[in-house]
Amino acid sequence: MLKTDVNRKIERELLGLVAVTLIIGWTIVASYTGLLTPLPLAGVLFGCCVIFVILHGLLRYLKHGGDPLLLPIAGMLAVIGLVFVSRLQPALLLYQLTWFATGAIGFAVITCWLRKPEQLRLYKYLIGICGLLLMLLTIIFGVNIGGNKSWLVLGQLRFEPAEFAKILLVIFLAGYLEEKGKLLADSRWGTGKFTLPHPLHLGPMLVMWGIALILLVIEKDLGAALLYYSTFLTMLYMASGRLFYVGLGSVLMVLGGWLSYHLFDHVRVRFDIWLNPWAEPEGIGYQIVQSLFALGAGGILGTGLSTGSPEFVPAVHTDFVFAAIGEELGLAGTLMILLLYVLLIYRGFRAAMLAKNEFCALLAAGLSSLLAWQTFVIVGGVTKLVPLTGVTLPFISYGGSSMLASFIILGLLHNISENG
Amino acid sequence: MKESIRRVTIFLLGLFIVLGAYLTYLQAFQGSKLNAHALNRRSREMSKTVPRGSIIDKNGNNVVRSVPAGSGKNAYYAREYVDGAIFAPLTGFISDKYGKTGLENSYDQYLSGIANPRFQLGPISRLWQRRGYNITLSVDGNLQRTAYQALGNHRGAIIVMEPGTGRILAMVSKPTFDPAQIDKSWQDILANPESPLLNRAIQGLYPPGSAIKPLVAAAALEEGVSNLQKIYKSPGYLKIGNYTLHEVNDQPLGELSLEKALALSSNVAFGQIGLDLGRDRVAKYFDKFGFNREPALALPAEKSRLPQFNKLADGELAQTAIGQGELLVTPLSMALMTAALANQGVIMKPLLVTAVTDTQGQTIKTFKPEVWLNPVDPQTANTVQALMEEVVAWGTGTAAKVRGIRIAGKTGTAENPHGPAHAWFIGFAPVEKPRLVVVVIVENGGSGGAVAAPVARQIFAEAL
Repeated sequence: MLKTDVNRKIERELLGLVAVTLIIGWTIVASYTGLLTPLPLAGVLFGCCVIFVILHGLLRYLKHGGDPLLLPIAGMLAVIGLVFVSRLQPALLLYQLTWFATGAIGFAVITCWLRKPEQLRLYKYLIGICGLLLMLLTIIFGVNIGGNKSWLVLGQLRFEPAEFAKILLVIFLAGYLEEKGKLLADSRWGTGKFTLPHPLHLGPMLVMWGIALILLVIEKDLGAALLYYSTFLTMLYMASGRLFYVGLGSVLMVLGGWLSYHLFDHVRVRFDIWLNPWAEPEGIGYQIVQSLFALGAGGILGTGLSTGSPEFVPAVHTDFVFAAIGEELGLAGTLMILLLYVLLIYRGFRAAMLAKNEFCALLAAGLSSLLAWQTFVIVGGVTKLVPLTGVTLPFISYGGSSMLASFIILGLLHNISENG
Repeated sequence: MKESIRRVTIFLLGLFIVLGAYLTYLQAFQGSKLNAHALNRRSREMSKTVPRGSIIDKNGNNVVRSVPAGSGKNAYYAREYVDGAIFAPLTGFISDKYGKTGLENSYDQYLSGIANPRFQLGPISRLWQRRGYNITLSVDGNLQRTAYQALGNHRGAIIVMEPGTGRILAMVSKPTFDPAQIDKSWQDILANPESPLLNRAIQGLYPPGSAIKPLVAAAALEEGVSNLQKIYKSPGYLKIGNYTLHEVNDQPLGELSLEKALALSSNVAFGQIGLDLGRDRVAKYFDKFGFNREPALALPAEKSRLPQFNKLADGELAQTAIGQGELLVTPLSMALMTAALANQGVIMKPLLVTAVTDTQGQTIKTFKPEVWLNPVDPQTANTVQALMEEVVAWGTGTAAKVRGIRIAGKTGTAENPHGPAHAWFIGFAPVEKPRLVVVVIVENGGSGGAVAAPVARQIFAEAL
């Protein structure tokens, strides 16, 4: 049997497991809430399974040799997200299914037309400029929805460009750092045993730092700023292998954070909430305190799907969906979710290690770092391990932009993993 | 490049291990603490479908219980308070809007049932019929009612406890509120300048006035600064530098033994004893009697406020020794101090809840009497006891006298900036084997001997 066939067979079996999870989850939710009459429920179940069948069929048709774990893991996360949307905001279930379908289309498009992601390398500057333009558009035309001025509205369509800009940025950085990596690694300033990189080669870092600060100040998007900057530093280290850049970058980050803490109210408020949400548990600390209550209520085994009270947490179906999972599925559920992310990210890095060229390696590693940082920042945020910043939980949170962007990343990783 | 990618992989996956460890800490170990938080609405939400446990008095009578209300789809459990206002300082309330207080809050984990290990089984716990645990109080419902009536229409507080075990038999605070009506009357309660939500017995801070003198006497005897033979002279006032300490109405009391000084509550004699003891030793005995500590009570008690002894001028030290100046104490602190003198110099930990039981009557947890502090020797305690018996026999506390019972006590009339003096009575009975410590404070009631002592008398008469 060919490797392709083996991989797709594994994938089919794992997708079967995902479908079983979906059916069990929805049956429980429907039997408790009674909000979903059997017919639309069956329709949604059917629609979801059809998407898996089509994607799997497509990969078979393309004789795609990509990593068989990627799609089932992402599918499992998306399915858990769908189950929780139907439990928390049943009215949004059809939308979320649509976003899931959109994500699947994004994944399909990438797997069909970008089988060789190294093609992207030629257009790295164009892609970088597109990314910057997206950000610029947001700065100029951005609309404030839910506290972040990070939305673009085109007629009926609303989306968050930052979700896509981050991917374009990683592609650009992969191309740019692959080219300049050696230069950055060998850059010497001074003589003797201890040498520093030449100041001229710190330019890219300063530019990135500036972009992160602009995001922070103008768009008030602390989450995106943090995410971009940490992904950039991670990629810079991977390309150059020099901890000096990470050290200097971290110093700059702390400096920027310190300055903005003293200059901007919205940063200060977020930071103060993190330090002590119990100072104003009914005021600014309300959301995080409610999130902690939800996680605590879950205990080890959870209250059971549909029987907790996660609705006490504001924005529970988007940024705080992890708190709802913690309450109803308990520590068992949250650790399982973390394990799924760990597996997904590990497989992403594995693709990077096995990639044939440096661009693909850096791209896969960059995208995996992005997923890792995003998950860490939001899970850490709702559990008060790190200051809360508004980013979504990849594949699980309700929202179209986030879902599509996550599946595009998945598609890229999938293609890179094929060439290992 | 591959090597640095490998390192980044390990680093980032390491972050997830940290995250997992923290989640375990949060959900597996902090869960019960978060569940018990007063602002957490979950136990209130749950109490509608899972009946909360009852709060039961010493005699087995319900103080609070959950009863089914509504019908059909709107069926739920409501909280029923028996004599709600009388027991409110103990029970507190539980409300959707305003959180929970009192025992409803501090024993929420048991009352709601969250502490039940079966409730930790997640969805499986639904296989059992769920119900919260009952808690049994040391409080005697009848005595609580007697004490409540005895305080009349005054503002103030009463604590009755067993000196030998630390069990609290009654805890009254007035004015009070009806926990069953909390949602309807919230605005009125908040607007009430007399703060009905304040549990004065454990949170009210008052100058103790002369009621503190037994502590000073005990300190002086223990330290050998005074004895029963020593004679103090009171011309009606005591000049200390620029400051003058006055007897009540500047009345010259002449020559006083320690016994007479306590029975007549001489400010001059006790001011002098305070000076003889000095700052350090006065501070030491306030600490030894527990005024500086938080007794681990099931309800949130305030700590008493002591002056900074090392910064006190002589005049201020003398004032502290007669219970005035910056000194502020809670009735609970006074009850514990009195208990030491009644119980051979030993203070037992105050106990309010004696047992947690399940619906079948199985005991889940019991709370046994424990020694808390041991401020003075039995000899000293017995000497002060004898002095305090004279206070009730012929001194300022005669109004507490009950025929046939030997009662020891001390009155206090504490001047304060908020109006007429607060009236105190602290005491215990029967002297031969004290079973009851009674502390009464009547806010702005006037003279302790005239106002507080008769209240204590009714409690002694009823209970013994």
